[in-house]
Amino acid sequence: MGKALFFKAADQNEACTLLARYGEKAKVLAGGTDLMARVNRRLLSPEVVIFIGGIGLNYIREEGDNLVIGATTTHADIVRSALVQEKAPLLAEATGQIGSPAIRNMGTIGGNLVNASPAADAATALLALGAKLKLVSAKGQRQVAVEEFFTGPGKTVLRPDELLQEVIIPSKRPGSKWAWQKLGKRKADIVAVISVAIALQMNKGVCSKVRIVLGAVAPVPLLAKRAGALLEGKKPNKALIEEVAKAAAEEMTPIDDVRATAWYRRKVSEALVKRLLSQILE
Amino acid sequence: MPMLKLKVNGRDYEVEAGPTTTLLEVLRGKLLITGPKIGCNTGDCGACSVLLDGRLVKSCITNALTAHGKEVITVEGLVEPGEFHPLQKAFYEHYASQCGFCTPGMLVAAKALLDENPSPTRDEVKEAISGNLCRCTGYVKIIEAIMAAAQEMRKKKA
Repeated sequence: MGKALFFKAADQNEACTLLARYGEKAKVLAGGTDLMARVNRRLLSPEVVIFIGGIGLNYIREEGDNLVIGATTTHADIVRSALVQEKAPLLAEATGQIGSPAIRNMGTIGGNLVNASPAADAATALLALGAKLKLVSAKGQRQVAVEEFFTGPGKTVLRPDELLQEVIIPSKRPGSKWAWQKLGKRKADIVAVISVAIALQMNKGVCSKVRIVLGAVAPVPLLAKRAGALLEGKKPNKALIEEVAKAAAEEMTPIDDVRATAWYRRKVSEALVKRLLSQILE
Repeated sequence: MPMLKLKVNGRDYEVEAGPTTTLLEVLRGKLLITGPKIGCNTGDCGACSVLLDGRLVKSCITNALTAHGKEVITVEGLVEPGEFHPLQKAFYEHYASQCGFCTPGMLVAAKALLDENPSPTRDEVKEAISGNLCRCTGYVKIIEAIMAAAQEMRKKKA
């Protein structure tokens, strides 16, 4: 390995130009909570580091029916934002449970997504909310739905020359219902053993746009499509909720790891889906 | 190697830092400011906690070059000339330190809390130090010390 390089990109164009030049050799740095921990554990030794903390991607704003959040916005800024609390309370709740105060001061929403942990808290919430991601490069830009973004643990469709610019979240509407729960071995600084995020529309007792998401039970944050479809257009009752929870548990492909066994994850996820749906639909 | 300019506890410094050098490595290795401790080195234990432009961060996973032009406060920066900070006094009086390894991080996390919220509840204190692990005394005495310091500081201000 030659001498490593550090660039502090002045703006988004420069960041894209650098990514186009260095591609896979480069690692994008924002808050550093994942990247630097991996460097310290000697899992990573980047030849080129491109710091994007100063390129103006720290913003939260309303654009039409969407809430738009820049990729380097910290978790702390998201939790504190009155706009996020009003327009995407599920994201505010899930983000408030990431790490601990110091981690939330450092870590960013973009980092939570591009690191592609199957247990990522913000990613799980954003998947339930049906968020879209705007990816930019020197060649142009494209939008990708969160459910198409993740391809495996630590893997996404982001190309080596691309940068995540912002997250576009449909704002809360009348009849929007949501619930979130993260299960960990302690309350702070913990990777989820299981997390569940649910968002749906409830109008005149009928459910629509049902999105049930499970974290840490599959190679990627999992949108339980079959389970959600069972509720679509229905007036929920106890028996249906149990059926949906069971279907969600069947969709997951959990593994045994240091945090929990696959058996435990399956059992507890089913119970959590049932509990959260009952809370929402009561 | 790129040059890094930063202010630590009121003093200006200029040092070299590599692309993946951490702020903790600069503080301890180059500036010999050893209050912040090397614990887990992965952002889990909080022994390295410092304030960066007033915000609590874990210096072991803070890339040093991203601190360029910023102000760092370590536990050493809590001391007022000739006098301990009310938090330090309260930790002493409440026996809130045993082996002492977590103490610098605990004190800095507590300062971050009280700077923003001078009248925290017990639960808010617990949340504020939730990123800091103590393996000796447990947390009760630490929480009590922070509550007492908050009260003392409010009295002083009044």
